[in-house]
Amino acid sequence: MYDSIKNAKIDWVLVITLLLLLIYGLVTVYSATYTSDQAHLYNNFSKQILWVLSGLIVCAVITLMPTSWLYSITPGLYSFFIILLLLLEFIPHSGGTTSRWFQLGSIQIQPSEFMKPVMVLALARFLSKENHSPGKINNLFFVFLLILFPFVLVLKQPDLGTSLAFIILTIPMLYWRGLSGFVIFIICAPLVSFVAAFNFWSFFFAIILISAALLYYHRGAIVFWLFFALNISVGILAPVFWGKLHSYQQQRILTFLGLVSDPHGVGYQIIQSKVAIGSGGFLGKGLLHGTQTQLRFLPAQHTDFIFSVLAEEWGFIGSLVVLVTFFIFLYRSTQIAAHTQNLFSSLLTIGAVTIFAFQVFVNIGMTLGIMPVTGLPLPFISYGGSSMISSMILAGLILNTAVRRFVY
Amino acid sequence: MAKIEKQIVYNVLMALAFLVLVLKLFHLQVYEHHKYFQYSEKNRIRRLVLQPTRGLIYDQSGNVLVDNQPSYTLYAVPYECSKNDSATALLAKILKSSQSEIKAKLKKREGPFAPVRIRRDVDFETRVEIEERKLELPGFFFNVEPRRLYPAGINAAHLFGYLGQISRSELLNRKSHALQQGDLVGKKGLEKVYDNFLRGQIGYNYIEVDALGREVEDVTFPGEHRPRPGNDFYLTIDLRLQRLAEDLFKDKKGGLVLINVRDGGVLSLCSKPDYNPDLFTKRISGESWRRLVNDPDRPLYDRMIQSVFPPGSTFKLVLAAAGLETHKCTPSTTSVCNGFLRLGRRSFKCWKLSGHGKMDLLDAIKHSCNVYFYRLSLKVGVDTWADFARKFGFGKPTGIDLLGESAGLVPDTKYLDKIYGKGGWTKGLLLNLGIGQGDLLVTPLQMAQFAMIMANSGKYYQPHLVHKMYDRTAEKMIYFTPREEKVSGVSQKTFSILREGMYKVVNEAGGTGRASWLPDVTVAGKTGTAQNPHGESHAWFIGFAPYDNPQIAICVFVENGGGGGAHAAPIAGKIFRAYFDNLKLSGAIAKR
Repeated sequence: MYDSIKNAKIDWVLVITLLLLLIYGLVTVYSATYTSDQAHLYNNFSKQILWVLSGLIVCAVITLMPTSWLYSITPGLYSFFIILLLLLEFIPHSGGTTSRWFQLGSIQIQPSEFMKPVMVLALARFLSKENHSPGKINNLFFVFLLILFPFVLVLKQPDLGTSLAFIILTIPMLYWRGLSGFVIFIICAPLVSFVAAFNFWSFFFAIILISAALLYYHRGAIVFWLFFALNISVGILAPVFWGKLHSYQQQRILTFLGLVSDPHGVGYQIIQSKVAIGSGGFLGKGLLHGTQTQLRFLPAQHTDFIFSVLAEEWGFIGSLVVLVTFFIFLYRSTQIAAHTQNLFSSLLTIGAVTIFAFQVFVNIGMTLGIMPVTGLPLPFISYGGSSMISSMILAGLILNTAVRRFVY
Repeated sequence: MAKIEKQIVYNVLMALAFLVLVLKLFHLQVYEHHKYFQYSEKNRIRRLVLQPTRGLIYDQSGNVLVDNQPSYTLYAVPYECSKNDSATALLAKILKSSQSEIKAKLKKREGPFAPVRIRRDVDFETRVEIEERKLELPGFFFNVEPRRLYPAGINAAHLFGYLGQISRSELLNRKSHALQQGDLVGKKGLEKVYDNFLRGQIGYNYIEVDALGREVEDVTFPGEHRPRPGNDFYLTIDLRLQRLAEDLFKDKKGGLVLINVRDGGVLSLCSKPDYNPDLFTKRISGESWRRLVNDPDRPLYDRMIQSVFPPGSTFKLVLAAAGLETHKCTPSTTSVCNGFLRLGRRSFKCWKLSGHGKMDLLDAIKHSCNVYFYRLSLKVGVDTWADFARKFGFGKPTGIDLLGESAGLVPDTKYLDKIYGKGGWTKGLLLNLGIGQGDLLVTPLQMAQFAMIMANSGKYYQPHLVHKMYDRTAEKMIYFTPREEKVSGVSQKTFSILREGMYKVVNEAGGTGRASWLPDVTVAGKTGTAQNPHGESHAWFIGFAPYDNPQIAICVFVENGGGGGAHAAPIAGKIFRAYFDNLKLSGAIAKR
């Protein structure tokens, strides 16, 4: 009954925002790879069109697929991609290529990208079982195991951004399934303080947010001050601990985490990106008129730093439009997740939304210089086949839920 | 509903995250817009590609053979000058070029802001003129790029090769995207073989310039990322011997190959006529290029490795080896030479028309008697002979680290049947092959390798030019270990007989190679005179020294030079002399 597509209703808000995002992406990729005579760069644009079209097909197929199918293929998919990641680890990779890729003929496939929807499916399947309430420690432990393998394998590639996405993904899904907000908060807050402590203002904001949350939970003055003190001390100790390390150790950790993979220095990328965005101004410089973009000052301007191109050429207004479109898409998805009757579908949607929100925040934050440089692409907009298909699969999961929800 | 509540919490958090992004965007794009706009507009940041200095090439004792010197390349930023007609017109006048040519170059670009190369290697006067009128030429600037310099005073053009602009097909097949249109890559010789190692890695310089193109100091932007120079190469070449070899062949055609028999390293490789490699470091004019290409003496061709010739009597050693190994003759097998051998209706002459009289094998080698070897070749047969020729490395490239090496040709029954038809060739052909004439073709390098085989009694190394390379990435020296090989199926006894023959050629009265004799070092060798239907014969000499404990082997080849004993052997003598004098000299210095 639930699986039947007869009562299907297309959710136009989702479809239109999704199409808009894809159009922004294509226009920006066109500008970012535009050259007057060098055809090999031009090819990127036509390839991207191909990726978008195949992505739309994949998305449609997943949308129309009975949800029960998705449910039953999940364990197989999970094992398959874990094996792929293991293979990447053991196949000797020859000169230049990192172990993030599989070379299949002329195209490269990045299994860690596909691991994102697979993780969403796996967690949703596990948590949707009736007796799998996350309040029980056994269940929490199993969830931990589920994310542990992909996390470690992807972190080793090294791809910090994607591996963190797996962890970030888990928290809202647990929350959605009923893990108490306070428990999640207690676990996450010190981590947030630790990371935020490297910048005064981010730490300041983090502590204010943490205090606000503590007040919200009404656990009494003792809990409040104890926890407040804990977070402050974590914040103070983090830079001290970091400073104790030798510079080569810091460098090694940063390199291991993939934070300094750029030969020209991370600082350079951020500065160029900020100059591009800042010089765009309120209205932007117009398509193909971004001087920073056309000068190719921007590193990875059609992949990781595509937002800088967009912001330079379309200005604050254009950037705002993109962010608002993303927000509408994600907001609408959470609405659907809240209203759907099927727990598995609901969890799927929340997982997908989380992945998108995380990537949007980390990627755009990176171009603005408030997030570290990790290799996370901007969904639907960055150039790249694996990322596009993976995002379209996630969108398909959301739409699969959307067309089957009961009208409310 | 609990879910609705969660949805609100979730969306509030998400909205906060998005708000952070919007605020930061507002900060950059509205609040600080002016500052960043200045960076991107008024003060342009220029990304200059810094060309790495190409690796140097040294000889075995550390003398610089190929160096670099700075040269000035004129660049232009199309955005700043492509619409400025007066500037392009002025520049065309200064460069003595046409305005349309400059405009065409400004159109070939990766983007309106990426600098385009206008002219490489601008001379001093032109540079001064452009710098003086800089205000009238906005968007044009100079970048220093290295250019090759050959300080050693030798040509060795076929060894070094030269650089040229990367071709379209090379650009398509490139491994690294660091290579761009207009870049220089090795086109020939060592420059091409080791191009990837010699080239180094490009660097970048980010400089800020104001609207007039003047550099502005600013610390906001990381400065330059220095290019990594290419790896330095240390050749096995000995500069003094190479220079001497080039001198000795100054007015001749041909050349020589001198090999260290202990590792196969080439001490000297000279092919004449050649050209001055410096010709290619500047903008080569169409006329001088045509002259090089159309020269009937083909100076672009490396005669030592690319050209093939019949080896003449030097090849009698191969026949002797085949005869000894197949027991068709012994050192004491004698034969009488009357100055000719009659075969059927034809008469085959010896070079000494009066005849050599009765001779054994060693005498026949010493006097290079044709008749003796005519008879031997009839006994051995063409296929056995060809087998042995191949054992000694003929008919295939030696594998030296240069491009375009010829394989030569060792004819056998199959080949002769194909060319002349089955039964279309007579035993007369076989007689000619036995004394190194006819269809047999070898390169001088193969002959030098053969001399090394003789010197070492069968053991030899792949001839090579690079001894070691300084790896700039690993910061250590990398040694090129030569491949060791051994001639199979030829006994030590046979080698000692052949070597004794070679000894007699140089050291006994009546030997054909007397001209290479030295008083203090025992030289052994074999001469050859290859008949040339188109003109004067080619003179050959192969040899090694010292006889008892060989260090070096040589092949001297003089195209249209005449007799090998008279024209090739003396050159070998001079080279040997110089080598051992140098050795004594450095020994004496070491003792002191």
